[in-house]
Amino acid sequence: MNILEDVQNAQKKAEEEKNKTLAIITNFTDGLLVFDKKNKLSLINPQAQNFLGISSKKIIGKSISELTGFSALNSLFKTFEGANKNAKKVFRKEFSLKKDSILEISTLPIIREKEKLGFLIILHDITREKIIEKAKSDFVSLAAHQLRMPLSGIKWGISMLLEEDFGKLSKEQKDTLRKIYYANERIVALTNDLLNVIKIEEGKLLYNLTKKDIVEITKKTIDILEEIIQERGIKIEFLVEKKIPKVKVDEEKISFCIQNLIENAIIYNIPKGNVKIILKYDEIKKEVLFSVRDTGIGVLKEEQKKLFTKFFRGSLALKKETVGSGLGLFVAKNIIEAHGGKIWFESEGKEKGSTFYFSLPIR
Amino acid sequence: MKKILIIEDDLYLKELIVKKLKKENFEVLETSNGKKGLEKIKTERPDLVLLDLILPEINGYDILTQVKADPEISNIPIIIISNLGQIQEIRKGLKSGAVDYLIKAHFTPTKIIEKVKRYI
Repeated sequence: MNILEDVQNAQKKAEEEKNKTLAIITNFTDGLLVFDKKNKLSLINPQAQNFLGISSKKIIGKSISELTGFSALNSLFKTFEGANKNAKKVFRKEFSLKKDSILEISTLPIIREKEKLGFLIILHDITREKIIEKAKSDFVSLAAHQLRMPLSGIKWGISMLLEEDFGKLSKEQKDTLRKIYYANERIVALTNDLLNVIKIEEGKLLYNLTKKDIVEITKKTIDILEEIIQERGIKIEFLVEKKIPKVKVDEEKISFCIQNLIENAIIYNIPKGNVKIILKYDEIKKEVLFSVRDTGIGVLKEEQKKLFTKFFRGSLALKKETVGSGLGLFVAKNIIEAHGGKIWFESEGKEKGSTFYFSLPIR
Repeated sequence: MKKILIIEDDLYLKELIVKKLKKENFEVLETSNGKKGLEKIKTERPDLVLLDLILPEINGYDILTQVKADPEISNIPIIIISNLGQIQEIRKGLKSGAVDYLIKAHFTPTKIIEKVKRYI
């Protein structure tokens, strides 16, 4: 009698637990689809039905091949083409079924004690994040334009005054104008840095990643810096060790990092110093390694920990160049980390030069 | 004498670059209106166009597209001068057929004219 009661109680408890779990799944704000070992749909919660516009009655128990007949599910499966179903990792992608609605889809295997029981699809609504991202991007575009407009007027006017297009100037007048010109250049650079910070905050996890050739991006960046390289008489070397595979990156953001690191190596160098850029591929770690070495001022040991923090500028850097916002490395760190990479540097200290590195995984 | 057309709605910037271009012995045509700019490209056939993007009536991108679609004028080199500078904006400008894209706050008139000389 007692045994029966115990069994009944245990059953009741198990039933309660099951109901609890089911209630959680039902009320979950993300959409969930569970497929069993045989690729048959064993569970779909109301939110997923809502996202996909299909009721569970029509589709539950059916296999993937049967479900491709439903257009919403067909496009969902297509999004996963190329994803390795047996991989243990989470696969993520953006997906849009309706206009003005963007979902982030993740798929992952369900594993218990090394046995694969099926897989799970999670639909997460990111429409709001996307709208904010777009608004930010529009703001940056507008702000850049509006801020640069008066700065261009100042730059153009002063440069022409200095070139004596409006008549001869005394040495003192020229000196003063030159100072104004460089003060204006500082505002231009600061504006660019600030806008970059705003852009970095935008969509940290949802970068627009495409396979790109890092060698090409680096070459283009060196071209952009040609003028300042000549101006400072820097000898620049660019070495590519082995063939570098393409890397999934957000080109604009990675270009910013590369430019920032090379620019620093030029600016904080001695006149006619050397800059050596190396790109390597580590086949074991499956990552691309970028490094830039300079013969410049170096970083004091006691300041090395703070170098990547927002608005921080090293005291040696401050002495060398008053221009600078202390944002470049902070932004670069955010970008590299959002790509799943690492950024670091080595410096033996004052006047010993520095080497900056970043690595990007091949995914 | 080479003929340069500048389509720029900031009158002060336009005045400065026109002065500099004339000093460098270019024949200079100017307008601050997109629609008039497009007409001038057709009627005057300049050797090169300096084109702003945000313009009244027809914007710079549309001017570019229309010029590139017209075989009579499609070979005229166009340099965009703008203060828009996000990568998607630059890419769009170059894809639409501009030979170069210069951010005004990053180039002095002298540097812009150096670029002009490269393309004519």
